[in-house]
Amino acid sequence: MVRLVARRLIQAAATIFVVVTIAFGLGRLSGSPAALLLGDNASREQIDALNASLGFDQPLWKQYVDYLIGIVTRGDFGDSYRQRGISSMQLVLERVPASLQLGAVGLVAGVLLAALAAVAVHLTRSPALRTSLLTIGAARQAIPDFFFGLLLVLVFSVALGLLPSLGNRDPVAIIMPAATIATAQFVVYLRLLDNALGEQSRLDYTRTAYARGEGRFRVVVAEMLPNAVLPVMTIAGISLGSFLGGLVIVENVFAWPGLGQLMLSAVYARDFPVVQSGLIVVAALFILSNALVDLLSALVDPRVRHLA
Amino acid sequence: MTARSTASSATADAFDPLELGAASDTPPPAPAPDTAARLRWPRLRTTEWVGVGILAVVAATILIVPLLPGSDPYAQNLSASFIPPFTDAAHLLGTDMLGRDLASRVAVGGQVSLGIVLFVVAINAFVGMVTGMIAGYAGGRLDNLLMGWADVQLAMPIILVLIALSAALGPNVWLMILTLAATYWVGYARVARSAAMSLKGRDFVIAPRIQGASPQWIVSTHIAPHVGVQVLILASADIGGVLLLTSSFDYLGLGVQAPTPSWGLLISEGQKYVREAPYLALIPGIAIFLVVIGTNLLSQRFTAERELSALRRRKKVRA
Repeated sequence: MVRLVARRLIQAAATIFVVVTIAFGLGRLSGSPAALLLGDNASREQIDALNASLGFDQPLWKQYVDYLIGIVTRGDFGDSYRQRGISSMQLVLERVPASLQLGAVGLVAGVLLAALAAVAVHLTRSPALRTSLLTIGAARQAIPDFFFGLLLVLVFSVALGLLPSLGNRDPVAIIMPAATIATAQFVVYLRLLDNALGEQSRLDYTRTAYARGEGRFRVVVAEMLPNAVLPVMTIAGISLGSFLGGLVIVENVFAWPGLGQLMLSAVYARDFPVVQSGLIVVAALFILSNALVDLLSALVDPRVRHLA
Repeated sequence: MTARSTASSATADAFDPLELGAASDTPPPAPAPDTAARLRWPRLRTTEWVGVGILAVVAATILIVPLLPGSDPYAQNLSASFIPPFTDAAHLLGTDMLGRDLASRVAVGGQVSLGIVLFVVAINAFVGMVTGMIAGYAGGRLDNLLMGWADVQLAMPIILVLIALSAALGPNVWLMILTLAATYWVGYARVARSAAMSLKGRDFVIAPRIQGASPQWIVSTHIAPHVGVQVLILASADIGGVLLLTSSFDYLGLGVQAPTPSWGLLISEGQKYVREAPYLALIPGIAIFLVVIGTNLLSQRFTAERELSALRRRKKVRA
């Protein structure tokens, strides 16, 4: 187990290093931000002074080394171009809690609903329920997240006037963005869990449990569900990337002040240091949650534990 | 488990025109004299006909509307802005904030959106097919390398790659297309690889090898036609997914740039007037929905099968 954790840590550090390097390379691809920061009327001396203060007059390898040294020794990821003097990493970290909150609420709600629905399908064994749930799911999947969010705004903000359409000041404001994420995740996990439960229901241990005289509720919830959750969790880890992508989109639909919204506004403003720091934080979060999924699998399944 | 897997592989065979689903690597009962003779068009179910119908109607609409007289997606007329749909014969779907004809904009936007999608899917299918066939046929270190890269790609959220590139180079359509072309071929490579691997041991591949045919020749003339059918099926299933992706990027301003219309961009323009003129966003949204539903209905059988086998594969790896 210790070896596993150590290997994981080394992998994580290597990945972060690669992301930092790529982010640095992309940043230098865009060249000096002088034109952007000083406007068209800047004099030659002003531009040179700015380039010198940002280190753009140094050779590329020196800039890269300075960037790495700054990160390691001072935790300095570079200042934002748009808000001079403010660390880009500070701007990014301020936005992380809002993103985590929205992502967690949406994901947990979606997975719980999917589990409830899948269990209901297998308890009732009703083909009609299954077909209607899967049809609704297929319809939801054909609507892009940003348009689904807009439909929610149309119904609940414009027509009914119940919920605020923007921001996160109001505690109920999380309902619509979280519902957008939850419904998208619901579809994915409903199908996975339904398939997994279907496979479990055909295995010998299930038949034995019924033969022992156990009730259907007990068999489905206490015996089949824990076994069905495992493959689903593996896929959850794999599809984390597309989940993060969905989060970026939903934050922008509802002007939710999270990381995705910050990074996109930084793209429009060509504020590369913020995008750079954002990428590094997202990569770190991505690695962390992947490790969490693996850890959870090991906790749930003794086979995975022993393999490690 | 056993009952289900035989049942599902039976459906896979029924659907697969060449009977070479990834699961069945058993040799065919009789040697096939001619590939073309064994190709047959799969019989469509009712839901699949519905899908074909929806797609045909959408395609006909976006191709015909811009040809109608007086149809101009860019002509502004500020005195005729915000005409609601179905109230004016000259503007059947109404006009937008600048008085531009919405029907023309949605139609031309559809041509732009779907044109990009077809282009991206074609590039991905081609790159994935070539890479996958080479990896599957050659095997060994090349195979490990290609599939390792494929795994890295799968873990990378495309939207973050695009955000990083757009921040560095400025957002534009070609950046989006190139990013998708570079990162989205993994699925095709997987399918092509497993198909090529299962074909490797067949007589019609071994025979030319014994006669001294080069690997390039074998792959391009004997393996490619079989793999091509599977890649084509996957490509048709992919259209809906890629449309969702590119529309999202357009919506976020990372793809098609105004004033060129695209469905995602039209929705983001319409969102600003969601209180006064909700139809501006609703109509292009419905168009996206129809195309995705259409392609999903068409490819349902195939994707359901693929999801199941993916689930089984992962379980096997874990156990």
